[in-house]
Amino acid sequence: MSARKDKNQADNSQITPVNDPVADSRLGALAGGIAHDLNTVITTIYGYSEMALEGLADSPEAAENVRRIIGAADRARMLTRQLLDLSRQAAREKVPVRVAAVLDDTIDFIRPSVPEGIRILRRVTAHDAYVNAVPDQLFRVFLNLTMNAVQAMTPKGGTLTVTIGCREDETGIHQGDQCRELHIRFSDTGKGMDKALQQEVFKPFVSAGKEHGTGLGLSVVADAIRELRGTITVSSEPGVGSAFDIIIPGAFFGTLPEKH
Amino acid sequence: MIVEDDSALRELLRDALEKRKYTVIAAADGKEALAKFRPSIVDLVITDLLMPEEDGLMVIMKIREIKPSTKVIAISGGGMAGPGSYLMMASKLGADAVISKPFLPSELVMKVKELLE
Repeated sequence: MSARKDKNQADNSQITPVNDPVADSRLGALAGGIAHDLNTVITTIYGYSEMALEGLADSPEAAENVRRIIGAADRARMLTRQLLDLSRQAAREKVPVRVAAVLDDTIDFIRPSVPEGIRILRRVTAHDAYVNAVPDQLFRVFLNLTMNAVQAMTPKGGTLTVTIGCREDETGIHQGDQCRELHIRFSDTGKGMDKALQQEVFKPFVSAGKEHGTGLGLSVVADAIRELRGTITVSSEPGVGSAFDIIIPGAFFGTLPEKH
Repeated sequence: MIVEDDSALRELLRDALEKRKYTVIAAADGKEALAKFRPSIVDLVITDLLMPEEDGLMVIMKIREIKPSTKVIAISGGGMAGPGSYLMMASKLGADAVISKPFLPSELVMKVKELLE
């Protein structure tokens, strides 16, 4: 980041914008939001144009005008594609993400659909631990693991306990800004898995969730953790529950601007 | 059932489906959809994903719990980019089909017909 800025400054004397990944990701999210809303409007334009054409078989001039409207909508569609491309480009950039905040967002998101009798407990000792991640990447991981746990505990009920702590020191007390390995654990009291399923569960198209109804593939979770240079393992016992342990290296403590 | 917060698009989809003799229940968001959902009469749900109140992902999850055999088509304009796109998540949650906006009503009607046959 700084090298690029220095190069720009060396090339000319003009002030160049600082490459700010947090601002970029917010701009990307804004572009994506605008594209989403525009695509809805364009769908309506396409829709009524198509319906109008159906009734204009005997009016070639009017039909041609409607086709011109569709042509204009096609051009608008290309613009929204460009906006989405911009959004996707920004969405691939890694920014500091506060892990505990992502967990809060996940639980807030899923809570309305959690059946009665299922509790979700947070045991966070590393409140200010950050990792460099693509925005929404950790959210998807946490959402998948939470949903799988909820499904494993439905309809019997139970408790999902999520812990976040520094691996060197589970009390969260740390020296300096580094948390060499962040340990995140999702531990449920659900149906559990046998040994055979545990060995297969991170492979594509294998899902413990299918046993419970509407499962989510854990291969998506494993891919995301690999992108963070981390590891994920499972331990489980049928009838007792499952625990997923995630280790992410290179975490750090701080009060950086957030984007998750 | 159509779940879409944009009123113009909601009415367009209603018109397009009623023209093909489907009976349509419309809702402006996920909360209204779940309040109006009747397992005995709803065979298929078309839901937008980004909506106020309960969003489309929640609609899919809850309908899958209430009546798993309900067909679900998720529609979205791609508000969340990348591999975690809402349409991809809808698919993982069990949507039978996903359609990106913008689309033509005839495309949607064809998908509805295919899923209900």
